[in-house]
Amino acid sequence: MEALQTLSWSDTWYLAPELVLSGFAILLVILDLLLPKRINRNVIGWLTLVGLLVSATFVVLLMLSLGDGTDPADSTPEFYSLLGGSYRIDDFGNLLKLVFLGASFFIVFSSLGTVRDTDVPVKAELYYLVLPAALGAMVMSSSGDLITLFVGLELLSITTYILVATRKRNRLSSEAAFKYVVMGGVASAFILYGMSFLYGLTGGTNFAFIAQGLGSAIENFEALLYICFFLMIAGFAVKLALAPFHVWAADVYQGAPTPVTAFLAVVAKGAAFAMLYRIFMNSAFLTPADGSFLQKDVFIALSVLAAAAMIVGTVGALRQKNVKRLLALSGVANAGILLTPLAINLTEMHASLFSEFIYFLIAYSFMNIGAFSVLTILTRDSGNESISGFAGLYHRAPWTAVAMTILLCSLAGLPVTGGFMGKLLILFGTFQTHTYWLGAVILVTTVISYAVYFSFIRQMFMRSGTVDAKLKMSVPATITIWVCTIVTLVLGFMPVPLLEGIDHIFSIPADLLVIQG
Amino acid sequence: MSTFFAQYAWLVPVFPFAAFAILTAMGKGMSKTGAWIGTIATFASLVLSLCIATERLSGNAEDYSNQFTWIEIGNLKLHAGFEVTNLSTMMLVVVTLVGFLVNLYSQGYMKKDERISTFFAYVALFTSSMLALVLSDNLLTFYIFWELVGVCSFLLVGFWYQKPEARAAAKKAFIVTRIGDLGLLIALLLLFWYMPGHALDFTTIHNVFDSQGGGAISTGITTLIALLIFLGAVGKSGQFPLHVWLPDAMEGPTPISALIHAATMVAAGVFLVARTFDIFDASQVAMTTVAIVGAFTAIFAATIGLAQNDIKRILAYSTVSQLGYMMLALGVGSVTGAMFHLLTHAFFKALLFLGAGSVIHSVHTQDIREMGGLGGKMKITAWTFGIGALALSGIPPFSGFWSKDAILTAALDKQPILFVVGIIAAFFTALYMARLFFLVFVGKQREGQHAKESPSVMTIPLIVLAILATVAGFVETPFNGWFGHWLTGGDAEHHASGLVMVVSAAVGLLGLYIGWLMYVKGTIRRDAVSSRMPGLVTVLERKYYIDELYQWLFVKPLQGFGKALELFDEYVVDGIVRLSGYSVSALGRLNSRLQNGQVQTYALTAIIGIVILIVAIAGRRFW
Repeated sequence: MEALQTLSWSDTWYLAPELVLSGFAILLVILDLLLPKRINRNVIGWLTLVGLLVSATFVVLLMLSLGDGTDPADSTPEFYSLLGGSYRIDDFGNLLKLVFLGASFFIVFSSLGTVRDTDVPVKAELYYLVLPAALGAMVMSSSGDLITLFVGLELLSITTYILVATRKRNRLSSEAAFKYVVMGGVASAFILYGMSFLYGLTGGTNFAFIAQGLGSAIENFEALLYICFFLMIAGFAVKLALAPFHVWAADVYQGAPTPVTAFLAVVAKGAAFAMLYRIFMNSAFLTPADGSFLQKDVFIALSVLAAAAMIVGTVGALRQKNVKRLLALSGVANAGILLTPLAINLTEMHASLFSEFIYFLIAYSFMNIGAFSVLTILTRDSGNESISGFAGLYHRAPWTAVAMTILLCSLAGLPVTGGFMGKLLILFGTFQTHTYWLGAVILVTTVISYAVYFSFIRQMFMRSGTVDAKLKMSVPATITIWVCTIVTLVLGFMPVPLLEGIDHIFSIPADLLVIQG
Repeated sequence: MSTFFAQYAWLVPVFPFAAFAILTAMGKGMSKTGAWIGTIATFASLVLSLCIATERLSGNAEDYSNQFTWIEIGNLKLHAGFEVTNLSTMMLVVVTLVGFLVNLYSQGYMKKDERISTFFAYVALFTSSMLALVLSDNLLTFYIFWELVGVCSFLLVGFWYQKPEARAAAKKAFIVTRIGDLGLLIALLLLFWYMPGHALDFTTIHNVFDSQGGGAISTGITTLIALLIFLGAVGKSGQFPLHVWLPDAMEGPTPISALIHAATMVAAGVFLVARTFDIFDASQVAMTTVAIVGAFTAIFAATIGLAQNDIKRILAYSTVSQLGYMMLALGVGSVTGAMFHLLTHAFFKALLFLGAGSVIHSVHTQDIREMGGLGGKMKITAWTFGIGALALSGIPPFSGFWSKDAILTAALDKQPILFVVGIIAAFFTALYMARLFFLVFVGKQREGQHAKESPSVMTIPLIVLAILATVAGFVETPFNGWFGHWLTGGDAEHHASGLVMVVSAAVGLLGLYIGWLMYVKGTIRRDAVSSRMPGLVTVLERKYYIDELYQWLFVKPLQGFGKALELFDEYVVDGIVRLSGYSVSALGRLNSRLQNGQVQTYALTAIIGIVILIVAIAGRRFW
């Protein structure tokens, strides 16, 4: 291993998105301190949006500067490796960063004007803490080293612990934050413990190093490797809220302010997936398959977890009346679906695993943010978080009800929506790899989930609510809802451009595997 | 030649579709304006169609087609597009012309209906789909619009849904044509499977089957495909044995009967066979089937028409019978004859229906036994209806004579028996038209009926159609094969046959004469037949008991089967559903048990979970 390379000035260009976020975060903290009390903290919200946008612009610029590897004569590198290979700028990271930044943007945007001071007394914090959280997620998706991964994870986790607690006067919120800290700590402990085995057995924290050491490790310490991977699986399962590690999610989602819930459901979950891909593609996937069942067993375990998450999440949602808890369980089921491409594809690899994953992640992000935005407006109006709060929505705000119906159809995986297309692609993947049982689980749980989502539609269209007054909408939230709805429809009707775009810039050897780095 | 207007042919269906969209969006509050929107949109289509026709009249215009890739999955590509040929141009003109006149007429006829804007919206949607069907350059989009016109027909037949008969008729029309559609769908799938490159466009179909003997597709499969396509045509064009829906469809408003169930949609079956004629041409069996079914339907429906008393039903059976003629023409290989008859029939049958509508509008009954002597009060209706009747009966020089002559000549060349059947059917046609005309317009007036002529929005279309019914025949006479040459590009296939002309004119006149003797002069008693052979008349009145037969053969057993399935569903399927629902909610209860709010439990669950996972996955290696 070369001596630890220090950060040079030229590297700042590659780190520009991350640096922008941290710069804005620090500035906004100071600004919040200095601004007089009477000034509406929405200013901070708008500045947060600016920060996210600037960062996203840099990500796009970096993406454009990367070669796509299709033309051998093209000498532009397909990725940049910084800091001795511990940080990587590649298309895997960049695509996910865009998703995270976009999701954060819409979450902050839609909460402008909908979050009440009485509910969240520290509104400014709600806005600017999104920045370090997104930064953590970006670090996780760009790491080439276990240490950076873990630092990113902790940055994200700790920030979200605070975010969950921002409803300071709400007992549920404090309880949620406390539970989240405990469970998050448990998860980090599992992951860190697992990582320490990986380091101990291979002698390195860098993925390139780990990959080299795996061969001998498996010969001599197979049992320890098993423990290593299963510990990490357990830790990630808690982070991703996979069943049976999901029980905290409902409490935390319910206690957190709704925008934060959306952030947990989309960004925090996506980042954990990014980390999972990074670690498992560069370790477990590379263990020799002959002579040891390790690789197979790890991925069977992931498949089983995926299936369990789908089943438990869907079934649990059936009986749930609180919308935020319900969406938490729906998130559990969706995490199972998101895990499927990774779980099935590695044993018999087929090249589309990442496009399946990211397609559904994008669709999932938009439909969730849209649904949470509708929920934010409704709870602000009535304070009612139960599903009966949707009663008569069609009569109070017909267009919002229509948008919500489309979003729900997408969550349920009905054609022609992004959720449908994404599920379909993943389903095709299970067929291609002959993992029919997992495909069957997807199908069955999807059918059961119709009952969950249709109960919303029934409430909105067929029940009359207690209030008949027109629903008061806020402009940013309305825009967010419609952007999400339209994107959901576009993803359903025209999947090809995005898929082709992903396939065009993404290649597994350059963007997922770190060995040659 | 110039294809300037042809490039914009796609606009022809767009106008009525826009009208449909506007009418639907605006809702009910615009009865008068709504009617005009529909009419103007159709008029725009008519103008454009006429422009296209004019630039193609020279006879050697190139076909214009334009297509784009619609769906692309892997290396499978589906194209959609439109094609302007002389055949489709003719159909464009027919559909937009009749459509426009019917729109105009409906302004008077439907004036008092409170859902008038819905009516015009449906008509616009129908017109649009029918035009798109005509323009389709491939079988797949053709099929989509084929189904869409079926849906519109369903909506319009059941337009007066307050009447149970209308509801039943709409359902019947839809279900019976679906049987044919299924055939067409299977044919489409077979074609997709067997065609080189999975092509479904008409040009490729033409090329593949035209060079039959190249053996791209075996004769057996060709016959199968042709017969299945024909099944679709049988359903849509009301051929025996799927003709039963068409007379019932007369429950819809009369302008609809004129537009959909006489001039355009029912002719789509004929158009389909003509469009895919190369497939039929490649299979002798299919051709013979088409000819026999056509000839049989022609005579079969004509005999039923003799014994009906509802003015619209008589015309409906006449439509079935005339469509039979067109099929006969196709079966004996004369595309020109079929399309020519389609053209003239569209005009005179639309005229007859609109005339009948004018009568119904005035006397508020459809039973011809309750009418009489209307000719004096409704001069324009009577005269134009008379012209239509003469054209239908095949009396020279009206258009029907020439087109029927073309078919009969072709039949005589091919198979004399078919010719004889055609002649007999022509005799019956003249007879029932004479009966209809004389009972309604001649004789003494009924008491208590205050008939008066319809308003001019209704009579103007009648006059225009009457002129067309008179002169349209001259585009193709035994002495002038312009139409046939224009349509098929071949040499005139229609050669003069003195025998055919004399015989067909003679039986037409004979039919009218006997009708006159029976219903005006009274020389032959009206019950001359029914008193001697009451059984025969009853059989005809009951339409050969076909409906009853179907009731016992299909409807009842299917209902029984449905009952059995319902029981199965109620006890077996629902039982399973209830069981799974119960087990799912039991699981859910267990889940909420875990969710007790104690963070210790959560952590413990996580630990137990991972232990189970490790034991299960890794442990299975050891036993």
